[in-house]
Amino acid sequence: MGVLRPEESCLLLDEKLLYFMDQLELLEEKRKTLNSLIEQGWFSISKARYSMGNKQVSALQFANEMEPLVSVHVRTLQNDKVEFCAERSSQKCNDEFVKEPTPIEDIGPQEEGIRRRKTTKSDTAEKKTSEDISSEKSPEVNPGRKRDHNPQQDPLKWFGILVPQSLKQAQSSFKQVIELSAEIAALQIVVLNARQELKRDLRNNDGSTGPEANASAGLNEKEEDVPSANESL
Amino acid sequence: MAGRGKLIAVIGDEDTVTGFLLGGIGELNKNRKPNFLVVEKDTSITEIEETFKSFLARNDIAIILINQFIAEMIRHAIDAHMESIPAVLEIPSKEHPYDASKDSILRRAKGMFSAEDFR
Repeated sequence: MGVLRPEESCLLLDEKLLYFMDQLELLEEKRKTLNSLIEQGWFSISKARYSMGNKQVSALQFANEMEPLVSVHVRTLQNDKVEFCAERSSQKCNDEFVKEPTPIEDIGPQEEGIRRRKTTKSDTAEKKTSEDISSEKSPEVNPGRKRDHNPQQDPLKWFGILVPQSLKQAQSSFKQVIELSAEIAALQIVVLNARQELKRDLRNNDGSTGPEANASAGLNEKEEDVPSANESL
Repeated sequence: MAGRGKLIAVIGDEDTVTGFLLGGIGELNKNRKPNFLVVEKDTSITEIEETFKSFLARNDIAIILINQFIAEMIRHAIDAHMESIPAVLEIPSKEHPYDASKDSILRRAKGMFSAEDFR
């Protein structure tokens, strides 16, 4: 029984070491992918800057109010593992704002109505109907305007209405980077926990096998002495 | 609040922060401080360190992304952070490629292998 325990613990240690090395390798691979995606993103941003202008793609374009579109759900599991799950919220929340009727001044259609008034008196009936139409249009147009004021919008819109394809490519690269970051964060914790466990087990193994190994070595030496003494006789 | 999830913070140069904000992680409103910091040439190390520590103190940030050359400036603060959450991820920058030997996490993971462990 005393001889089996060190072997079993050594096998366990080997398994843990192999697990640690596997996780480390996986971490390195994901890091390489992350780094190359980030570099792709920078390259696309530089291309967009080249076509739009230096100051059109910079921190000056950041909105005054931002709401995060990505949230990370963190779960701590039993093995001290921590799970990070990056969730991208859909922009369906905009519909909720549409339903709330708060008045916003609508200048566009009213201006058209005013412009029509410059025609002759015979058109007054037509103008009245156009005014009615413009007043009907205003609540319909308001939700559209509200979407502009809604902070939870696509960050691409900060850089203009028509953005080059390279900026969209940059956005998609960085979206992938964000998802990978959550996986790498979880892997880092796994690697560190595996390393601590391995170090602790190595210390325990040294502590438990050290005196037992000496004792068993001493016994073996005594057993060898006895037959040699018998042989000499 | 329970179902809201946590944020990803970023401390980096202009292009890095622009990219991640394009990805949709940015939060900025009148009530709370932003979850990002654009580090420029004139940004002081004190400001970077204070921002990093403020992100650590916030309980609504799960991951902090930081350019590795900025992490080097506040290496002592990053090495002192031993908790799992928030997780600190070092990322390359345009002028400084990623160096695994400088990464705090990998140094902690690889540093255990000494000759004494395998006697």
